[in-house]
Amino acid sequence: MSLATALFLAFFGTAAIWFGVVVFRTHSMVRSAIALLFSQTAIGAMFLVMQAEFLGVLQIMMMATEMSVMAIFMVMFMMDPGGMGKMDMTHQKRLSLWAGGIGLVAALVVIWTAGWQGPVPDVPGADEQARLLGRELLGRSMFIFESAALMILTAMIAATMVAIAPQEKDSQ
Amino acid sequence: MIWLSLTILAPLGAGLTTLALRRMPEAIALTGAALGLAGAIALLAGVAGGADVTATLPFLPDLPIRLVANPLTATLALVVATVAAMVLTYAAGYMSHDPERPRFFGTMLMFVAAMQLLVLSGDWITLLAAWEMIGFASYLLIGFWHRRKGVPGAAMRAFLYTRTADLGLYLAAFLLIGIAGTSEISATLSTTGTPALIAGLLLLFAAMGKSAQVPMQDWLMRAMAGPTPVSALLHSATLVAAGAILLIRTAPMLPGGALLAIGIVGGATAVIAGLMALAATDLKRLLAASTASQYGLMLIAVGAGAPVAALLHLIAHAAIKSALFLGAGVFQHDRESTDLDTLAGAGRARPGIFAGFVLAALALAGLPPLAAFYSKDAILAAALDSPSAAWFLPLALAGSVLTGAYMGRALKVLWSGTPEKPRDKVPLMAVGMGVLVILAATLGFAFKPLEAMLGAHLAEPGWIVPAMGLAVGLAGLALGWLLAPARLLGPLLAPARNGFPLAGGMDALVVRPTLALARLCDRLDAWIIRRVVLGGIVAGTQALSRRIERAEDSLLALLNAVGRLNLSLGLASLRFDRDTIDRAIFGLVDRTIALGTRARRLQSGLIHREMALTVAGIALVTGVLLAAPFYF
Amino acid sequence: MIPELMIALSVGAALFGVGLYGALSQTNLVMIIMGVELILAAALLNLVAFWRYLHPDVTAAKMFVLIVMAVMAVEMAVGFGIAIARFRSRGSVEMEEARELRG
Repeated sequence: MSLATALFLAFFGTAAIWFGVVVFRTHSMVRSAIALLFSQTAIGAMFLVMQAEFLGVLQIMMMATEMSVMAIFMVMFMMDPGGMGKMDMTHQKRLSLWAGGIGLVAALVVIWTAGWQGPVPDVPGADEQARLLGRELLGRSMFIFESAALMILTAMIAATMVAIAPQEKDSQ
Repeated sequence: MIWLSLTILAPLGAGLTTLALRRMPEAIALTGAALGLAGAIALLAGVAGGADVTATLPFLPDLPIRLVANPLTATLALVVATVAAMVLTYAAGYMSHDPERPRFFGTMLMFVAAMQLLVLSGDWITLLAAWEMIGFASYLLIGFWHRRKGVPGAAMRAFLYTRTADLGLYLAAFLLIGIAGTSEISATLSTTGTPALIAGLLLLFAAMGKSAQVPMQDWLMRAMAGPTPVSALLHSATLVAAGAILLIRTAPMLPGGALLAIGIVGGATAVIAGLMALAATDLKRLLAASTASQYGLMLIAVGAGAPVAALLHLIAHAAIKSALFLGAGVFQHDRESTDLDTLAGAGRARPGIFAGFVLAALALAGLPPLAAFYSKDAILAAALDSPSAAWFLPLALAGSVLTGAYMGRALKVLWSGTPEKPRDKVPLMAVGMGVLVILAATLGFAFKPLEAMLGAHLAEPGWIVPAMGLAVGLAGLALGWLLAPARLLGPLLAPARNGFPLAGGMDALVVRPTLALARLCDRLDAWIIRRVVLGGIVAGTQALSRRIERAEDSLLALLNAVGRLNLSLGLASLRFDRDTIDRAIFGLVDRTIALGTRARRLQSGLIHREMALTVAGIALVTGVLLAAPFYF
Repeated sequence: MIPELMIALSVGAALFGVGLYGALSQTNLVMIIMGVELILAAALLNLVAFWRYLHPDVTAAKMFVLIVMAVMAVEMAVGFGIAIARFRSRGSVEMEEARELRG
């Protein structure tokens, strides 16, 4: 409940939002990807501010990698990666705006009318958090952990399968 | 008690068996008759010993059937049983060639049973019933050969005469029962005064019919159309005796006026019937008229106040007249007819039978020591001693003379003439007749003990009365033998032959009107049947058939309507099916397809659309879940 | 009323709205994936904020965060695999033309 935290959160939050908007407003694909990167990094910073060090670091590292990959893919697949053409690549814009707006408003309404109260127990230190998380991960949530691993494995195989070019039967 | 029932039930059982089995009728009949005879003998023996047997059988309330066996009734029962047994023996031979023997013997036995019931009856109701039964049996037996000409008419006439006279008995019985309060005969005999006089006269009327007294003697003549055994049993000893029995039994009750009337009627009959017998051209008619005449003598005795004398004469007459009839039957068997001219000399051909016939005839004429001598003397003595001797005695004497006369005539005819050799031996007939002849000869000796048993004391005849009786009897026989009837009767011959019809006789007075009435009723009946019943039936049937036709038409119309209804129902059902159901179903199908088609538009395949829908769906579900507190 | 929580959650709401707009309005598959990334990031933010300001002692919340991150990665991987396959067969990943599943 300190002012600094609040200010930092506000700062990084605004940054995240602004960069998120930039993702969809810019015509350049690369810039979209970079903007998204920055947005995600801001969110990671927010994590750090909120004393979830492990998660924050994780977020920043993961998102950096992901966005880089995404940028590569964008360049691969987009018509106009540089955004020189300035074509409006959207559809159902009004519907989307409405949907986004309603979602935003509904969420805000819920947030501001919910009335969450303290008292809040103390936040354990970073080491402590890491130790607790490790305990949690390999203790109570082992099953979830394993399932998640399985899911990742399946996804890897699926993505590979999908991405591999189909062999032609009469290729010889 | 056993003998009492045996006397009645033996002939009854034998009769029913004969009618049912139709086989060996003679054997069954003779067995029944023998048993009945045994019963009667035992009964009389018991009664003579002092026992007074009575039996009471429940019937109507306050009117039980009473049977009583006192000396009087037991004696009569024995008479009936004896004559019945002998006549049935005779009939076994007489009817041996008749194909309808079972009916004959059955009816004869039924008659015997009914007669025994009458004789032994102790109350008026039983007596009336038995009276009717013997009348009916007589009708059946007289008309036995109903296919012969004249026979059914004779039977019907006999029935009508006796039936008319029975009215008297009915009225007398009801009068006596009403006054005495009970139906027991002996109780009613204490009636006195005017009711007794009226009852007596009514009883006389009934007796006149049954015993063929003047003016109702004609039926007996005509009854000779029946078989001879019938004549021997019914019309000499039993049925015609019923009238005399009635008067003998009710004698204690009868006042002087009634007795006088009885005596006058009896006397008139004795003379008139005797004349008829004398003028008769047929042996059986002669004997029938003789029967009426003898019963007239009995009625004189009753009128003179000596019913016991009448009873004695009844017993003697039963044996004698039966024997005479049986003899006549034998001659009839020889000559195939009973006409006196045809029978001339028939007696000579059969000496034995003729000897019996002669004996019986002499007995009837009143020669001692044969039976009727004593009884006739008793009658003459009673007539002499009675208050109305001036009437009774001359009539009795005249009757006796005529008795001898016609018997002598009969003997003369049977003796003189050319005899023909008889064809066959008649053993059974001879036996039956023979026993009766013996009885006719010897019964006289039983009369004194009989008188003692009956507790009656007849006036000692002295010597005047027997002398008178013998004299008139011999005189009569001589007259009959020597002189022809035409000479004797002179101008009376023709009326006597015809039965002295007065103003047309009973025929015109009673029979013709009755038959005319019967014919009128018949025509009325036929008219009623034709018009009302048949017409009604025919009309009714036609109306019914018309109604049925109309009903049929309406039914047909109904069926048509039902059919049309069914068709229209089917059509309606079809239309309903087609229009509503099919339309509904196909409509449902079409709408489902339309709905599906519209739903297909959602499936654009475009990612963004799908995502939009997904978002909307999520928003909806979230909203519903979040609003849960408000509706739960 | 915890101000930091409010701020963090509001940021998350805004990110969610932006991401939704993007996912629905973009024609390119990669851009759509980006939008979905934003939405998931917003969810992550909310999770961490809740953990930090309401239940810091519950480590399971962090597990949740890890799983969501895994999901993000997996989704991106598979999505790009599909994009490759699509690109190979059609030559573009514009979702406007992807009408084969219509009907």
